[in-house]
Amino acid sequence: MKNASVVKINKKTLFLLIAPGLMIYAFVVIVPLFTALGYSLTDWSIGPNKRFIGLKNYVELLKDKVFWTSLKNNLIIVFANVLIQMGIAFFLTVLLSSRHTKMKGFHRTVIFLPVVLSAVVVGYIWQMMYSSDYGILNALLRAVGLENLIMPWLDSPKVVIYAVTVPLIWQYLGVPLIIFMSAVQGISKEIYEVCELDGVSGIQKARYITFPLIFDSIKVAIMLSISSNMLVFTHIYVLTGGGPGTSSMVLAQYAYNTSFVSMKLGYGSAISIGIFAISFVIVILFRKLTEVRKK
Amino acid sequence: MRNLMRKGGRWIYNIFLLLFSMACISPIIWIMYSSVKTKEDFMMDIISLPARIQFKNYYTAFIEGKLYMNFISSTFNTVITVFFVLLFAFTIGYALARCNFKGRNFIYSLFLAGMLTPIYALIVPLFIQLKGLKMDNKFYTLIIPYIAIRLPLAMFLFESFIRTVPLELEEAAYMDGATVWYTMRKIIAPICKPVMSTALILAFLDTWNEFPFALVLVTDDKFRTVPVGLTSFYGQYTTDYTVLMAALVLSALPVIIIYIFFNKKIIQGMTAGAIKG
Repeated sequence: MKNASVVKINKKTLFLLIAPGLMIYAFVVIVPLFTALGYSLTDWSIGPNKRFIGLKNYVELLKDKVFWTSLKNNLIIVFANVLIQMGIAFFLTVLLSSRHTKMKGFHRTVIFLPVVLSAVVVGYIWQMMYSSDYGILNALLRAVGLENLIMPWLDSPKVVIYAVTVPLIWQYLGVPLIIFMSAVQGISKEIYEVCELDGVSGIQKARYITFPLIFDSIKVAIMLSISSNMLVFTHIYVLTGGGPGTSSMVLAQYAYNTSFVSMKLGYGSAISIGIFAISFVIVILFRKLTEVRKK
Repeated sequence: MRNLMRKGGRWIYNIFLLLFSMACISPIIWIMYSSVKTKEDFMMDIISLPARIQFKNYYTAFIEGKLYMNFISSTFNTVITVFFVLLFAFTIGYALARCNFKGRNFIYSLFLAGMLTPIYALIVPLFIQLKGLKMDNKFYTLIIPYIAIRLPLAMFLFESFIRTVPLELEEAAYMDGATVWYTMRKIIAPICKPVMSTALILAFLDTWNEFPFALVLVTDDKFRTVPVGLTSFYGQYTTDYTVLMAALVLSALPVIIIYIFFNKKIIQGMTAGAIKG
């Protein structure tokens, strides 16, 4: 950034280069950040009446059972993604970076494909797979004789939160995989060659060389997963809408319901700010924890 | 003997990987081949491959189900958004890469902050803001947030790329009295082609797939994009599984085609963006 200044441009041109884009950006991203804070201190429902009520919304939020259920569900989704998705991605990375593996490009392309699909499409694909009468999941279970496992996946309060997590793990598996694989490419080949000469097993290589050497990338992937899964909305909206009851409710869905179904815009803003603060705290906590671990 | 076992082991895990990859796309494959079955064939056996292929479901979904209307508005939104994202990202990226001025670092961190903010938490206040200005539910409503959300990533792509371009060409042009606009258009823009295509593809994918903003900010049928259109379509055709599947395939088709041709670029660009954020 130091030796950036070279081209001299007059002020008017500079303004024209930057202002239009920056204005739209400020209008959409910066201003709402502050107005949201303001609205969250009012009792505004749709309509002209807006009363300043101080921190009452936030007090209510702390006592709001649905809010805590949603948070718990978000955390389940986050943990499942971090453990299962990252685990599978790491395992695949180890397999795919072996020199005996064929068709590496093909595997990468295929596993990454769901990432580019829209969340709505993915939601409906899984909606159909889970469908009780015409879903392929129950049909396959029936075909292999596991009839006792057949169930209404999205209608049973105990199972539903895990059922909605699977599509998320499935769709975004490609993201940590690619992050890990590009990190592995940065590891010097010689290390592995020396290991092979010394007769180190594949599992040992993965545990003692690959894992610690790409640990920073794993952290990045986990952080990404946390911040996107704390805000997950579309998949849930399409699959269950948070139901049955509130058994698959997540924070973003709750904020949506409060703001646009019950039309409580003040309280909805407070929930949005709450989501904001919680994801922020979790990311910071995670950073601190992993730093300690490194020492 | 040991050698033979090792070879066998390699075969086994290559086959395992292949099975895993196949399992990964099997849901998509299932939807695709089921979408060309008739409803009766599908209900008789939901796993089997289609005995005869027919595209009536596609006609029903696209024309009778009026999905084409959503395609029109999605195309409109995407084209306009991508154009402005590229334009603004290029101009701002150039200014930030090449000029030193007061407030430069401030603008830089403003965009960086935007990449770290959970944008979707801004939907409620943005909705209120647009409603207050009577800018909700118009043909241009979605374009505004779409440009803003895609801008930071595209801008950083341009900025870091332009930084690597040597200055000599520009200096020569300025010596000859060329204006900034001329130099940007004739000299910098052609050099930026690779990063431009990455930014273009990423902005296209994100905009085509976007859901929460489209759900909240426009309610008029004729401005609804494909993802939102799908949700109301689903309500209408709940039991017509094969028609629904055709609708899903149709709406994913543009994305899949782009992916088939540009998957290397997409994977690179997406991970670069993800790591930056």
